[in-house]
Amino acid sequence: MSAQISAPAAPTAEHGRSPVRSRRLIVPMGALALLLALAALHLATGTQQLGIFEVAAALLTSREVDSLHHQIVVDIRLPRTLVAATAGGMLALAGALLQSVLRNPLAAPSVLGVSSGAVLLAALAVTFGPPVGTLGPVLPLLALVGGLGAGLAVYTLGRHRGRTDPTRLILVGVLLSGIAASATAAVVIVGGSSVSGVLRWMIGSINGRVWHDWHVLWPWALVTIPLALATARVGNLLQIGDEAAAAVGLPVERARLLLVLLAAMLTAGAVAIVGAVAFVGLIVPHAVRGLVGADTRRVFPLSLVAGAALLLAADAVVSTVRVELPGDPLSPPALLPVGVLTAFLGGAFFAVVLLRRPHQSGVS
Amino acid sequence: MRLTNGHRPRTRHGRNRHAIPGDAAAIAARDLVVGYGGARVLDGLDLVVERGTTTALVGPNGSGKSTLLRTLVRLLRPEAGAVLLDGAAIQRLPTREVARRLAVLPQQPEVPAGITVRELTEQGRYPHVGALRTLGAADRDAVDRALEATGMQTFAHRRVDELSGGERQKAWIALALAQDTPMLLLDEPTTFLDLGHQFEVLELVGRLRDETGLTVVLVLHDLNQAARHAARLVVLDRGAVVADGTPARVLTRELLRDIFRVHAEVTVDTDGVPVAHPKSWAGPRQDPQTQESNARVPDAPT
Repeated sequence: MSAQISAPAAPTAEHGRSPVRSRRLIVPMGALALLLALAALHLATGTQQLGIFEVAAALLTSREVDSLHHQIVVDIRLPRTLVAATAGGMLALAGALLQSVLRNPLAAPSVLGVSSGAVLLAALAVTFGPPVGTLGPVLPLLALVGGLGAGLAVYTLGRHRGRTDPTRLILVGVLLSGIAASATAAVVIVGGSSVSGVLRWMIGSINGRVWHDWHVLWPWALVTIPLALATARVGNLLQIGDEAAAAVGLPVERARLLLVLLAAMLTAGAVAIVGAVAFVGLIVPHAVRGLVGADTRRVFPLSLVAGAALLLAADAVVSTVRVELPGDPLSPPALLPVGVLTAFLGGAFFAVVLLRRPHQSGVS
Repeated sequence: MRLTNGHRPRTRHGRNRHAIPGDAAAIAARDLVVGYGGARVLDGLDLVVERGTTTALVGPNGSGKSTLLRTLVRLLRPEAGAVLLDGAAIQRLPTREVARRLAVLPQQPEVPAGITVRELTEQGRYPHVGALRTLGAADRDAVDRALEATGMQTFAHRRVDELSGGERQKAWIALALAQDTPMLLLDEPTTFLDLGHQFEVLELVGRLRDETGLTVVLVLHDLNQAARHAARLVVLDRGAVVADGTPARVLTRELLRDIFRVHAEVTVDTDGVPVAHPKSWAGPRQDPQTQESNARVPDAPT
């Protein structure tokens, strides 16, 4: 039809777009540069503070040349850096997916019950299973199963007459999260053992993550992250409403299932390794939208990068802080779990948002 | 005009009664039966919409006009009967193929937070591009044309949720135009708009029809508005077509009294358009079907 509509006054439209175009390049480039800088900082930070060049040297040289630095950087810190960046990115990406698919700026991975489900199964395994040392590689996989199970349960219970409704999904998710959290508390109390071991999952921590954790995380990340990024156009359509999306030919129910499932997979994978790190999946996509608008083609990839950056930065901070945790022989030197810091950051972030824009920050 | 009012002919078993050669009909409903959870809203309805015309669906609350429109654009699935798009059953066509042939403006679409007018308009290219490919030059041209046609270029980078009601409605129309379809269906596009914006939106649609041969189907609440902007009025009552024809033939005192339950005078404007002047309520329906039909469709969307 519009083939015959009078020719567009293209110059004005083009004119108005050029500054936006350049800004769209600056933001992702800046985010990537920030991420690399934070990764370097993260590698340099810890009990023994290293310089950037020492880090580079340790990474590039072989074990024989500089055994100590190589050991610190490659054997201890590099897996932790990789895990922090990847898990942070996955949590934030999951949050971005959920905020668009549920059309709720306050949706987060924890809303789907995935985090609590993963923590519950981990708590069960830690409390009633064999000693943690022997559980080793199985524990993250168990958490993964718990997280996915919870996500599927929420989706199934959120269906009504073959249709899902964002509000219903959120309500069911909050409900199941609460039940799973209570069950976790009950497990800890009844089991009466190693509260700190479970606490690590409940709060979320990257302390003591080793290459093995990375080897569980990366294949999962390699599958889920590209798939999630590829759904950006679908996310945009779900964002404009079910009716309008269906009108332009999107199979809405299948699309929503796909995005919810991908968000659950991202969350479960991350939580299985680092525990239920709070607020990364909420504040990062929220802040990213404030920066670049709601178009998911920008929000999804930028949330991934910014989530990685945030967890790297937070973990770099906690790895320099020493606290005396009485009776915690498992997390080697007493370190603050990173989840404590992100929870604090999340609270502060929303306080600032609320104070600055009192009328715009609510659920729209 | 057929004013059958409750005594409509049963067409369910009289197939091909309204058969029109496939190429003349842009979209057609055959023996359409649609219900919500057991309650029938449309019961054996037939309709043929011809190309390049504007057809207005009007009727009292709960008459099934929005249900009909939503079924025509496959947002509702009929229990029986078929919607034929260019002669082919719409439910059997791939949904993106349907979206390349007809665009629809849903009733009161949601307000997407933080999306700009241009980004919203770009969603109209999904039927052409799909989920994985990115927008090409042709798509950007279509978006530019849609923004131009609706006069929204200057708003292209404004957020939709920050626009006024009239501008927002035009942004949604831009999305539908970006689909580049030969057919456009609008569900009460003028509700919540002030008088000026109502005329602006309807005249925009009329201009597109004249310039491009667009086929337009509108659900309208305001009879005078429908009479002014559509060449054909289809009056629905209790899920059936009770009158169908040019505004001059359909818009009568009898129709207003029997179907809309108002006493009214109908005059003809200087430009030949009939105008209804409602005076008073004509009281509840007299016929025995009233109670039954109210019980049958308690909350059918209007």
